[in-house]
Amino acid sequence: MPERIQEQLLDFLTRNFLVSREEIILDESLIDQGIIDSFGLIEIASFLEKEFAIAVTEKQMTRQNFGSVYKIVNFIKNEMNK
Amino acid sequence: MCGIAAIYNKKQQKPFLKDLIIRMISCLTHRGPDGSGIYIADNIALGQRRLSIIDLAGGNQPMITDRYVIIYNGEIFNYIELREELKQNEDIHFNTTCDTEVVIRAFEVYGLDALAKFNGQFALVLWDKKEKKLIIARDRYGVRPLYILHHNNSYYFASELKAFDTIEGYERRFDTENLFEHALMWNTLDDATVYEKIRSLPSGTCEIYQEGRCIKKIRYYEIGESLPSQTTDFKTALDEFTSLLNDAVKLRLRSDVPVATYLSGGIDSSVITYLTSLHNKETFKTFSVSFEDKDFDESAFQQEMVKRLNSDHFELLINYSMIDENFLEAVYHLERPVFRTAPVPLFLLSKMVHDEGIKVVLTGEGADEVLFGYDSFKEVKLLDFWAKHPESAIRPLLLKKLYPHLQHYKDPRQFGLIRLYYEGFLNDYNNELVGLNIRIYNNKALSNFFNKDLHIFYSKEKILEKTKKILPSNFDNWTLLQKNQFLEFKTLLSGYLLSSQGDRMSMAHSVEGRYPFLDHRLIEKLFYYPDNFKLRIFSQKYLLGKAFQQVIPESIINRPKRPYMAPDLKSFFSKGKLTEHAAYFLSDNLLDQYGIFDKKIVSMLIKKFERKMPDEIGYRDNMALTFVLSCQMANYWARNPKKNCLALKQLKIYEE
Repeated sequence: MPERIQEQLLDFLTRNFLVSREEIILDESLIDQGIIDSFGLIEIASFLEKEFAIAVTEKQMTRQNFGSVYKIVNFIKNEMNK
Repeated sequence: MCGIAAIYNKKQQKPFLKDLIIRMISCLTHRGPDGSGIYIADNIALGQRRLSIIDLAGGNQPMITDRYVIIYNGEIFNYIELREELKQNEDIHFNTTCDTEVVIRAFEVYGLDALAKFNGQFALVLWDKKEKKLIIARDRYGVRPLYILHHNNSYYFASELKAFDTIEGYERRFDTENLFEHALMWNTLDDATVYEKIRSLPSGTCEIYQEGRCIKKIRYYEIGESLPSQTTDFKTALDEFTSLLNDAVKLRLRSDVPVATYLSGGIDSSVITYLTSLHNKETFKTFSVSFEDKDFDESAFQQEMVKRLNSDHFELLINYSMIDENFLEAVYHLERPVFRTAPVPLFLLSKMVHDEGIKVVLTGEGADEVLFGYDSFKEVKLLDFWAKHPESAIRPLLLKKLYPHLQHYKDPRQFGLIRLYYEGFLNDYNNELVGLNIRIYNNKALSNFFNKDLHIFYSKEKILEKTKKILPSNFDNWTLLQKNQFLEFKTLLSGYLLSSQGDRMSMAHSVEGRYPFLDHRLIEKLFYYPDNFKLRIFSQKYLLGKAFQQVIPESIINRPKRPYMAPDLKSFFSKGKLTEHAAYFLSDNLLDQYGIFDKKIVSMLIKKFERKMPDEIGYRDNMALTFVLSCQMANYWARNPKKNCLALKQLKIYEE
């Protein structure tokens, strides 16, 4: 299941932010890597809402949850298990 | 206002120079359709196309005196006062009432010190017959353009690059390193351009050529050069500012033809139009752009001012296809890539202005730089406040005040994401790039679009080093917001607003823009006012709002600041596909032929929006598509210069 979530997320990232999978460092912030800007974060949040029915709250928007691909996958996993 | 060109060449014969200078100015007809003249002597050729505004009968160029020959593009607004000053000198006699003669006489009396006496917007080329010396100069903020091409041991000068395309054996080619610098900053720094071998004369400088080479480069003005202001009282500042702006408008209404104004719906142009109405007792014309797409439309605010001032108003309604259909022609005039389509409506508006018989318009350009109107000033202020207590939960709440005009930031849930984003800059704003750190960070994604064979890569250190070279010696003494103002002047204002949205789009239809906020007396005075006179907490252009609150509708003063924008990416898609124009210039074939961009990445971007056009599009995607498309088009024009330049009617030829 986490693998599938990661696949979906990476697929979204590559299609939306025009990067290849090899370019994405999975344990580093997407902002720090320059892959996304502030609007990119908004696109990711709306992707989570649409694909996984996760409505991200303001409090959840932290580096802990969104600081890397691994962290986002974990966040999705935890939210889906709730 | 005019188009000018010159050749400085030690080798070529006069018939060759004459033939070439005629070709060069023939493609600048749009800048000056009212007359043309050339001057030819050994080693030198000067050419000019005139748009007559002051002394319609007497101001023909080149203007020749015993010692000097001048070609000149622009206006010296204080020419009347200077003329009086010069007349005190017994040896000086005037033959015309034209400002050009004032310029030439000022050089006769003051030499290069004349430049600091001019209050104006100009680019000029002066030939000193006695010393066989060529002087070129440009106004303080770079309102009027002047380019220099050094090719085959000759120097060529022109208002627009297309004049260089008429030189046999020369082909205009992108310098891809500079092109990427332009992509990061929205301008190339100092005297660089996006083209090989072509420099832009930096604003506030002059250069001297003798014995076939450039012998001296002199800066006669720099922002913040004055002594710090003694004004610490807000009430005094209000009076000083109102009086200076009023005088700046008054000087800029000097013209022998009618002057109109642009009304954008914002406070800047509303104030300029109001002040114009004080000096112009007759009904005058105002012009506005409105949009079918209501996200961009500001016509309700424009109408409020029209009603209040009872001007003779003209409105141009813009839709997506007008932007698509006119983008190529606009790029012909822009001659370099842009990041937004906002110049296109202004290109079409100047046509309307021209068709209404108007040659001169006043606009509100410059107010955002002078009075801290841009978001970058708020971003810097916020980061500086937050960085002092980075762990604070309260301080970042101010982020909510950053972009009140953007729909997607209204959702409070998105706030956390914005905080995440800005958090990354807490250690990266207090350096020489100040607010540009954020712009450069957002724009560096464009490196991904370049052809991998060009080895374009982003280096923050390199940009920092280059930026340091243009900073004046007193830069370190300034506040962060003053530093940011200086950088906004050197990048966005001169490289994009004055050039791509200003000079090129209005002069494309023989219309001269004048900008009262860019009067140097006003800029120098306000530069040293305390920051909070200009940005009070997050209230932008505070001084301006307070100064005119009695006469400008409250709804205009208190509306959230929004930049003038037009639909970008959306204009180039129709029915789930790229429009015909865009598809041609972004085709694999043309991308391959020009070799600047990676066609795989460009195609990924196109597919993203062919799959689905979302309601909202981010800054980055809008910018990337507009940049790549305009680059391709600029490249097309450099390789395929227009051949149908107009023949010169009634060309005046002076030969020595």
